[in-house]
Amino acid sequence: MSRWDEPVPGEREGGDRTWSVVRDAFEERIRVPHKRDWRPIAIAAAVGAVIAGAVTPPGHAVLGSLRDAVRGERNAAPALLSLPSPHSRLLVQSVEGAWVVQSDGSKRLLRGYRNATWSPHGLYLAAVHGNELRALEPNGAVHWSIGRAGAIRNPHWSFDGYRIAYFAGPTLRVIYGDGTHDRALTRDARPGVSAWQPASHALAYLNRAGNIVIRNVDQPLHFAVIRTRLTPRQLQWTRDGRLLVATGSHGIGVFAQRGPQQRRIDTGVGTIETSALSPDGKHLAFIETRAGQSSLQATGTTTGPTREIFNGAGIFSNVVWAPDGRSVLLDWSSADQWLFIHSLSVEKVDAVSNISADFGKEPSLVGWCCP
Amino acid sequence: MAGSRGDERAWIRGAQSGSVPDLEALFRHHWPRAYRAAYLVVHDSAAAEDIAQEAFLAAVRGLDRFDRRRPFGPWLHRIVVNRAIDWSRSRALRRESSDARLGLVAAPAPPDGEHAQTLAAALADLSPEHRAVIVMRHLLEYTPGEIAEALGLPRGTVNSRLRRGLDELAGKLDEELQ
Repeated sequence: MSRWDEPVPGEREGGDRTWSVVRDAFEERIRVPHKRDWRPIAIAAAVGAVIAGAVTPPGHAVLGSLRDAVRGERNAAPALLSLPSPHSRLLVQSVEGAWVVQSDGSKRLLRGYRNATWSPHGLYLAAVHGNELRALEPNGAVHWSIGRAGAIRNPHWSFDGYRIAYFAGPTLRVIYGDGTHDRALTRDARPGVSAWQPASHALAYLNRAGNIVIRNVDQPLHFAVIRTRLTPRQLQWTRDGRLLVATGSHGIGVFAQRGPQQRRIDTGVGTIETSALSPDGKHLAFIETRAGQSSLQATGTTTGPTREIFNGAGIFSNVVWAPDGRSVLLDWSSADQWLFIHSLSVEKVDAVSNISADFGKEPSLVGWCCP
Repeated sequence: MAGSRGDERAWIRGAQSGSVPDLEALFRHHWPRAYRAAYLVVHDSAAAEDIAQEAFLAAVRGLDRFDRRRPFGPWLHRIVVNRAIDWSRSRALRRESSDARLGLVAAPAPPDGEHAQTLAAALADLSPEHRAVIVMRHLLEYTPGEIAEALGLPRGTVNSRLRRGLDELAGKLDEELQ
């Protein structure tokens, strides 16, 4: 045997891992045959329907059917009366501010706050008010605040609560959980995308080149880079910190912490709006939109088929998992409804309507926290 | 490694019609050399796996359009080696530490051949461009003309890189490579 014929480090294990990824990609390719792109026809039909609705009596019926298409679930509750997961709390953002919703349905508005996020155990919030980053209790009591010149956005608490990452202008900064030791981590970051690795002070973020950087914020010269063409809009770690899920507009990549891609989920012509890892990290729910329709889909994080859980007209803008992992909450913004979907086998769907009447303009789900 | 040109055509035909076993046969046949080529250029197992994996995913995406009369290997290796060169160049431009220093849990290195490790270590001292032509010539067994075409280089450049690269390697290895 010559030197060239001997295996090199990682060859066998990498082959097994990669075969799993390649097989999944191949099977996805078989399951999703090429379809004609109906979008131009659908747009033309919608425009035609509007014109018909405006000028002809039969057109009123057409407009009625379009309204029905985004009416949402029938028999929806008129307001949010309680959460199905006891002792949990929802965080909702609207133009008015951040809302904290208790499991009994009672809620409090933290007026003027934006970009709110839970601390690891839901005892505190980090949120932005004007040009300040603040740490506060859910009842609104502010513990500390810090002002920055650039627009502050996307605060994100580490899993142990000792660090908060946030963006100030183009700079990714890190501050201790008690409001001290604020410092710039890097300017080579795309604002808005970051995720703390559990059980560490390693932060994953996107650099300007579009690749994922994993950096220990306490030893900032030590970092690793995962190259990807996904252009992720969202990063999430599994709770054990072993897998990093990067969600882009047209695909989801599941990476091992050292970089190799374990799985790739590609959509055809659809666009992925967002994804949510289950609390145990084993399942991934994501929203795909295509030609005016949205669908909630679910799959195993590392393997398994992708199944459609629910679909409807218009936009599903977010999905979050209950802290106990038994249900997901789907924000069907076009229908002004939330759907509590109990288990991914869709045993039961509880719909709540009039969300914007409850929470104000442009309500959006942020997180469901902490039993 | 078993697998004739006829086998390869049959695997591609089967994969194009949706056969997973045929795709797996094609994958298993080509993975070792694709991964090894990437590894010997980038000298980083995680990056090599990523590069080889991306090449196979590109193959899956382009499978329907692939001309079965053409050999699969050169097409795959062209992607692998060019991406490996790009990766090595970009890494040289940035300061980067190993993952282990991040405090992350690293997978244990598997046992590998002593000769392969010696070779990898010796190659690591060369530039990515020199590594690439040597790997293509001596691992993947392409002619200088084929290497020139795959890498988009003049043939004379390939020959000179081969000569200089082998001269450097000769001092580091115990036995002749040629």
